[in-house]
Amino acid sequence: MNSLVRRYWSLQSKFTIQGLFVGLTLLLFQPLQIRAAEPDLKPGDTIGPHNWQRVQGMVGENFLNRVKAGHTIQIKEPKINRPLKEYVEATEKYSGQVRFGPNGELLNYIAGQPFPKIDPKDPQIGQKLAWNFFWRWLGDDYKTGGAVEGGKILRTAIEKGGSERRADLVSYVIFPHTRYTLNPKPAIPGYEHIDFMQLRIDSYPRDSSGTTTLEIRYSDPKRPDDLYLYIPSIRRIRRATTTLRCQTLAPSEFNLDDLNSFNGKITDFNYKFLGEKKILANLTQEKFPFNRKPGDYLPLDEKWHVVDTYVLEVTPKDPDYCYPRKILHLNKVTFDTHWTLMWDKKGDYYKEQFGFFTPVKLADGQEAWSVGTVVIVNVQNGRSTLVTANRAYNQGYPPSLWSLATLQQIMRGGSIE
Amino acid sequence: MERTRGRSLLLTGSLLILLMAAPVQAYSIFGDEVETFLKEKVAFGGFIENTTGLAIGPDGDRRHFNTSNRFVMNRLTIQPEFNVDFHQSAKFFISWRFVKEPRYNMEARSRRRSVSPAAAAQPLESTFYDEDSLKPWEAVLDLKPTDLLHLRLGRQFISWGETDGIRILDVINPQDTTFSPPFAPNLFSLDETRIPTWGVRAFYTVQPVTNSIMEFFALPGFEEAKQRVDDVLGSNDTADARVRYGRWSSHPETRMPFGCLFRAPVGGTCAPIVTRQHPDAGDNWKLGTRITHNFGALNLGLGYIWGFNPQGADQVFKFRSPGAGPVVNLRLINDRASLFAGQFNYTVAQIAGIPFNTAIRGELLFYPDKLYNVSEFPGRSCTTGALTGFKAGPSCKYRNQIVEKHTIRYALGFDRSVLIPFLQEDPWRAFGLSFQLIQSIIPDHEDGIRVFSTADKLDKVTTTLTFRVSTGYLGDTILPDIFLAYDPAGYWAANPAVSYVPPWNEKIKLTLTAVVLGGHNKFSSIGLFSEKDSIFLKMRYQF
Repeated sequence: MNSLVRRYWSLQSKFTIQGLFVGLTLLLFQPLQIRAAEPDLKPGDTIGPHNWQRVQGMVGENFLNRVKAGHTIQIKEPKINRPLKEYVEATEKYSGQVRFGPNGELLNYIAGQPFPKIDPKDPQIGQKLAWNFFWRWLGDDYKTGGAVEGGKILRTAIEKGGSERRADLVSYVIFPHTRYTLNPKPAIPGYEHIDFMQLRIDSYPRDSSGTTTLEIRYSDPKRPDDLYLYIPSIRRIRRATTTLRCQTLAPSEFNLDDLNSFNGKITDFNYKFLGEKKILANLTQEKFPFNRKPGDYLPLDEKWHVVDTYVLEVTPKDPDYCYPRKILHLNKVTFDTHWTLMWDKKGDYYKEQFGFFTPVKLADGQEAWSVGTVVIVNVQNGRSTLVTANRAYNQGYPPSLWSLATLQQIMRGGSIE
Repeated sequence: MERTRGRSLLLTGSLLILLMAAPVQAYSIFGDEVETFLKEKVAFGGFIENTTGLAIGPDGDRRHFNTSNRFVMNRLTIQPEFNVDFHQSAKFFISWRFVKEPRYNMEARSRRRSVSPAAAAQPLESTFYDEDSLKPWEAVLDLKPTDLLHLRLGRQFISWGETDGIRILDVINPQDTTFSPPFAPNLFSLDETRIPTWGVRAFYTVQPVTNSIMEFFALPGFEEAKQRVDDVLGSNDTADARVRYGRWSSHPETRMPFGCLFRAPVGGTCAPIVTRQHPDAGDNWKLGTRITHNFGALNLGLGYIWGFNPQGADQVFKFRSPGAGPVVNLRLINDRASLFAGQFNYTVAQIAGIPFNTAIRGELLFYPDKLYNVSEFPGRSCTTGALTGFKAGPSCKYRNQIVEKHTIRYALGFDRSVLIPFLQEDPWRAFGLSFQLIQSIIPDHEDGIRVFSTADKLDKVTTTLTFRVSTGYLGDTILPDIFLAYDPAGYWAANPAVSYVPPWNEKIKLTLTAVVLGGHNKFSSIGLFSEKDSIFLKMRYQF
């Protein structure tokens, strides 16, 4: 499997007839164009075991193997999301002043996309893409689970044999110093040092319901995240460290840094731009969660778009980190990730993750986008996890929601809104 | 009659649960609005659990706790819970708790025989532990008049502190330890031994970003006194060394000897007669306040509690008079206590560049002028000073056998997750490690201070260490968890458990756990329970 993965996902430079020297020079100094198998996929095309080669390199290796084994997918009309007006304005207003600090942190960053001009020749392009990903538009706040019936995130852990366990939760996120729509803008006074705060509340099954985590990400590159955990069985708040970010959040296959594809602290990693690439993604998921066979993660009725992405390789500064190599495929417009691929310390292919998206309407009528269902597959142990996590943006939550007082008020099965 | 009543109530409760759990369509007869309200605003949950316990170890090691069939527990618990979201600023939670646990025949006969005086012996109820009241277990109305103010009214639990499995600041709700073995958080969590209390709790968030929160609670003490049959002091004391006591009480011969110290001369049998000093009207309130604040990564809280004896072991008995023959008259004192509380938590990523990755937590309780029972060791006549020949006797300095001493209790905990790949099928599934140091200190200590109920000598410093390890295997379908406690005086407890959550149903959980306690004698610390080693199987279904 390892060799296959390397074969399909390895970089392929554009050699010209001018010779090996020129080619090598280009390899060193030119942007790399990752070639997908067959970029001329058209809406209506059906891909299956008979023609799987057409999507080779455009999906994860494990997914491709399922196509080879009989799963069919269909291509649909392209969909391009448009950046939001306020985000574009903030980008135009503030991006010119953004610089890197000594630890790779951003200096003078206020709001918007920090680096709108992507130059493949820029030696810092990897780092810039990473920051563009981190500060992609995600609203001023959002409730995950807020846009599906029942208002919950639906998580299903699937065993290798097909057994399933369900868990429900909700999540509330606020970006207190990059606000585009809600007042005060662009920052809530007193919160300028906090990048985001997340509150995650389990609501099913009963024994875990009420378990709540409050996570705070600080702008200071040297300050670890804060993580508080309310445990209903002892009715107390416990503090936890966030430095062991690789631990599996069982029974799911996610770890802390797998959330939102890549949830690591940007300054803890190195980045390498691997090129541009067309991949398969779904920006208009139709059903939440999507239809699938019990015990299997494959979406049955959803169709796929061909999407342009930047390919970004993430390598940790910590040699003991769980993923010595992680590859993100960043949407060229929204900077969301569509496919995320991970390798383990032995260099073996470890996990692959894909996320569907769906359009959502904001209060002012603008169309935005939200993640829909995300799937992570551990190809080594055969387990997979699906999370349907539609977001409702710009709810206007007060920042006091993300305080320890909220954790003290949780009841089993209860809500905080 | 009582038995029938209990069964009827349990049946009614069960029917209620079934009815409430029925499809929402059942409510459509009330109209669409009601149906919509129930569907969107009302959430139902809860659990049903059966716990079976079996005494382990050879009979010879269980001289005082042997039962005819070696079963020590068969407890059925049903707890339905409802959430009602009336409004963004008004929510309601209510739950009931129904429990049925029979008393074993041998135990009942033994208890009947042991009641003193014999003429007053009454047949004991056939149930050991019953909760069959329709009075809610918890019923709270949460109000949020503003974003920063939160009120909780009703019968509730309030838990302060940072410890795991041990209570220091967690003394706001009283605790009922009648029905659970000690040092067994894997069997029953603290939440299952707390007694819910009517009252009000308020939070005011002064500054959210620094978690500066003021908290206030007031518990008027509406709860009626609940005296279990196992709690009746003196009712179990006979010369029969084979008395089978309450299943989770300490050794019988350690229960009441302290009262005997006050008989002059001490010898032979002894019959303490205990009366209780009840609080004056309006004096049974508990009040408390706390403020928390973040100083960088340090979360710190300071608080104050005004209430009664915080824990059962804090009760003291006042010597009144020696009675006729073996009788000694004692009075249980309800001491009004002012408790000063502190707690903190902090995370340490590195120390001197070395990864530490540990959350440190602590709590402290300062209990000024705490009452203690005190006596002379060895026993001597307060008139002549001559030794009585007994190991102990009444204190000559404190004629009512009570002394006041400032007391400090604190706990320090260290939590971290570690990866031990060679012990895991998933190398990134962490082991949770937790270590705690718990100490109680009497700075101005005097020799002779004793725990009344067991005559256990209290040193200037008493220490307990706990250690807990937990992890999950096979996608967290197998969940081992071990809790260990150690008293450097030579006592220990182990509470290993392994749970199974089937990969095909998240609602089911089976737990096999053991409670093993030991020590170098049975008169002190955890050794009090050294003959109570047991294993338990918990079967739990969440709905």
